[in-house]
Amino acid sequence: MSENRKRILDLLAQGRVTADEAERLLAALESTDRQGSSATAAAEAKYLRVQIEADDKDGGETRAKVNIRVPLRLLKAGVRLASLLPPEARDQMNAALREKGVGLDIDRIKPENLDELIRNLNDVSIDVASRQGRRATIRVFCE
Amino acid sequence: MMPPLVLRLNMEKADGRRLRLWLPLFVLWLVALPFVLVSLPVVLLILALLGRKPFAVAAAYWRLFTALPGSSLAARGRGVWFHLELI
Repeated sequence: MSENRKRILDLLAQGRVTADEAERLLAALESTDRQGSSATAAAEAKYLRVQIEADDKDGGETRAKVNIRVPLRLLKAGVRLASLLPPEARDQMNAALREKGVGLDIDRIKPENLDELIRNLNDVSIDVASRQGRRATIRVFCE
Repeated sequence: MMPPLVLRLNMEKADGRRLRLWLPLFVLWLVALPFVLVSLPVVLLILALLGRKPFAVAAAYWRLFTALPGSSLAARGRGVWFHLELI
């Protein structure tokens, strides 16, 4: 039992806080612990991994599989490099992305945003199904 | 911070045939180094004349280059499997 949890229970035993207040304090403590462990995991993560499993063209049991590992340092370096792009190049890139239907603004991608993304990217799984009935699963996570 | 030194390629077919290749990239970097050293001042000068931050751009590219080790791509499908890795 952690020191803070013990202190809250002591306060409850002494009657200095009500049961409701103690419950709220414990919930807040757990939330802080979770955030702390998620931030630690994000700080320790070194790679972004993308795994794709899809039905092979012939269908059946054979599954095509792609496994990509990208160092997070590479992503951060790429984001830093993007911030050094001349404004006219960024405008052109944004326009090209918009043309393709991607509403992404290159100017808004910052290294701190990437850190936040990594912190929140615990394990994302996307199931994709095509009209022909083929299925694919995409998993994105940090490790 | 080191650039990728070796490119490792593994390939295997369904019939059991295998290919394992280690490409010593550090040899390539050693060959390229004199050219880089000669061309770098010129590139920096051009960047400065264009109004860019030459050292920041060079540092960003260097960071990108040295962050490459650890990258890997593995794919399997239709009787073939391959794995490409930068070390």
